[in-house]
Amino acid sequence: MSNYFKAPLTRRQCLSLLAKAGSSSAVLGAAGIFGLTNTPVNASPVTLKPLQGKNRKVLILGAGISGLTAAYELERAGYHCTILEASHRIGGRVLTLRRGDFIDELGSPQICPFDDAPNLYFNAGAARIPAHHTGILHYCRTLGVELQLFSNHNKNCYTQDDAAFNGQPVRIREYEADMRGFIGELLAKSATSGAVLDQPFDEQDLDKFIQFAQAYGDLDSSLTYRGTDRAGYAAGGVTTAGILKQPRPLPELLRSDFCAGAMHFAEIADQAPALMTPSGGMDSIVKAFLRQLTTPVQLHCQVSNIQLQPQGVAITYLKQGESYTEQADYCLNCIPAQLVSGIENNLPADYVTIMRQLGRGKLTKIGLQAKQRFWEQEDIYSGISWTKQDITQIWYPHHDAFKAKGILLGAYSWEPQISDRFAAMTHQQRLATAIAQGTKVHANYAQHIENGVSVCWQRMNHMLGCGAVWPEELQKTGFQLLQAPAGNHYLMGDQLSMHPGWQEGAVRSAWHALADIERREALRSTGAQA
Amino acid sequence: MNKIWLVFMLLSSAVLADSKQPDAQYCLVCHGSAAQGNAAIKAPNLTILPDWYLRQQFIAFRNNWRGSATNDAHGKEMQAVANTMNDAEIEQAIAFIRRQAPVKLPISVNTTANVQHGQQLYQQCQACHGAQGEGNAQLHAPPLAGQHNWYLVQQLSAFKNGWRGNQNDDSYGQIMRQFAQSLPDEQAIADVVAYIDSLPSTQPLLRTSR
Ligand SMILES: Cc1cc2nc3c(=O)[nH]c(=O)nc-3n(C[C@H](O)[C@H](O)[C@H](O)COP(=O)(O)OP(=O)(O)OC[C@H]3O[C@@H](n4cnc5c(N)ncnc54)[C@H](O)[C@@H]3O)c2cc1C
Repeated sequence: MSNYFKAPLTRRQCLSLLAKAGSSSAVLGAAGIFGLTNTPVNASPVTLKPLQGKNRKVLILGAGISGLTAAYELERAGYHCTILEASHRIGGRVLTLRRGDFIDELGSPQICPFDDAPNLYFNAGAARIPAHHTGILHYCRTLGVELQLFSNHNKNCYTQDDAAFNGQPVRIREYEADMRGFIGELLAKSATSGAVLDQPFDEQDLDKFIQFAQAYGDLDSSLTYRGTDRAGYAAGGVTTAGILKQPRPLPELLRSDFCAGAMHFAEIADQAPALMTPSGGMDSIVKAFLRQLTTPVQLHCQVSNIQLQPQGVAITYLKQGESYTEQADYCLNCIPAQLVSGIENNLPADYVTIMRQLGRGKLTKIGLQAKQRFWEQEDIYSGISWTKQDITQIWYPHHDAFKAKGILLGAYSWEPQISDRFAAMTHQQRLATAIAQGTKVHANYAQHIENGVSVCWQRMNHMLGCGAVWPEELQKTGFQLLQAPAGNHYLMGDQLSMHPGWQEGAVRSAWHALADIERREALRSTGAQA
Repeated sequence: MNKIWLVFMLLSSAVLADSKQPDAQYCLVCHGSAAQGNAAIKAPNLTILPDWYLRQQFIAFRNNWRGSATNDAHGKEMQAVANTMNDAEIEQAIAFIRRQAPVKLPISVNTTANVQHGQQLYQQCQACHGAQGEGNAQLHAPPLAGQHNWYLVQQLSAFKNGWRGNQNDDSYGQIMRQFAQSLPDEQAIADVVAYIDSLPSTQPLLRTSR
């Protein structure tokens, strides 16, 4: 029965209830928090025409995914590339941490303390790739990067919210089964009560709709939700008859914010199953590019001056305190715009003005080494548990089941204020916080955790942000201007895509710039002014 | 667990020292390639600031005089860095900044500010910061002319709302806070900053070390 409601609901009541329980607007709001909802359309990979003996030099600033993509394609076509990278490492925001790696966070430098084992790594930056990111997957395919399945959604993980269930963690399986049961019953009952949609809707449609509602919620023949084995059995189910779990009351479910947010995370186009990730860490992609490049990336070269010249670009950089200048026909620049705005330059004033207005995204990720894979004892292999505390998420490794140890993601938040709070702590305080909060999800968490790393992207050297944040108005007026070349200088990176925060944006921005160079080279060879 | 941490920290501190880039190139990541400041990072122009003031501010960050307020995210960034630096590293950083030639900043005009009103308000600043905003070493008052206007606004607001100058042992900060509090509102801050912005850029005061 309807422990949820006594009389059939009117459509209006139904809609208002639905709005509470996670309607499209609530879902969209959540999507906004989680990232983008638009899906990039397939593009064909750029193929540059070979230069055939012409001599062209390109300076690439920054060895992130966009810089590496550009270098690979340019070299293949016979361009001479020099890649200048300020950091001690290659990869930018593709950062896979293993034992001994130096984490160059301003004010919180660390050395990764994980044990030395192939399965003990942590993707502190990019971690997952959806199937429609065809640009980055093109390079995984053609450069031989082995992929594994990656999961955001695992019904055996938990949701924890102090406002509901006495703060106890509840399996996502149970929460979702009950929520769907309730919604299914609500839909079925409102449909049978004669509520009609605004669209043409005949008897047959109505019948189908009720069947849908019944299947959606796993309702009984009287269209009532009485619990479901989708939630898992309370007891039995294999050699003895299964006993259903008692559904949780709806008001109790609604007290948790899970239904209005994280429950729908894996509905977001870029986050929905099936996702992929390179075996052994995201930096397999970086390594694959490096296997192809003939010119080595020059590390510790901090660009300090960008000068447009009539025929090309001159770049000055600092290396070990000394200044060097190089000239080239083209410059492809993937340095984060908020840092470019602090580099001396003669770029057009309106160009620099836009860069100054881009926001610095804030993200914190914490990785924890566990000495036992305790989550496997709780039937969890991969996926995400969600909590309303600052740590927001716990990720379980999707790889290397049954190994001795494992690396968990112990915190990952998109809320700038939360990231500010983590940034204000010392590394030790961050770990202590991650462990204390994780304990609400896994009671014995602290005794399993051995060590960890914390990465606040807004503090990372040569980054100072997890990505550019374009204010909506500025994007309308400034994006195309920044995307267009200034002289022979191109700004690129995911910051110059409508898909910032994804490697796909970085790859496509490089293709966009390369296509323009190709166009200009074609003009040049016909003698026209490029 | 604590023990493991201790051992780890001891082992790693030597490695950390090596991995720092020489010559405090670090400063230029936030403060711009010539230490001229960067609006996108809210990092001030360092080239106009004399050694004694830079040193004083390192101390201020380490003493929690700056960067301790909960919402002062930018102050906290610098504080975190200052806390990882020992005295020798601070002197190295100051020497490195000294090697950067002062950069002429682009003139930015704030059309909504009243420069004349700003000039009146500046009367009270003048005693310490000088008629040309050139600063005064004896009074521990930094040069203002040549600093970014957005940074001056930000710091006046920080003094006014107690993010700076709010600690008993920070006597210079406390003095400055009193003056900032005498500015009634944002408009007054904008006006006085617009006046400072109109002052011809003075060469930085003494560029001696120590
Ligand atoms: C926490 C986090 C999670 C993410 N998750 C995902 C994900 O799951 N999937 C996904 O596809 N993407 C993800 N991303 C986004 C992805 O990492 C980026 O889109 C991509 O790596 C950006 O590449 P890029 O070339 O645009 O820039 P970057 O990788 O930022 O490269 C810029 C380079 O410029 C260098 N540089 C800076 N200053 C200078 C200077 N003065 N001189 C020379 N070099 C300089 C930097 O050191 C850096 O190497 C995530 C990012 C973060 C931070």
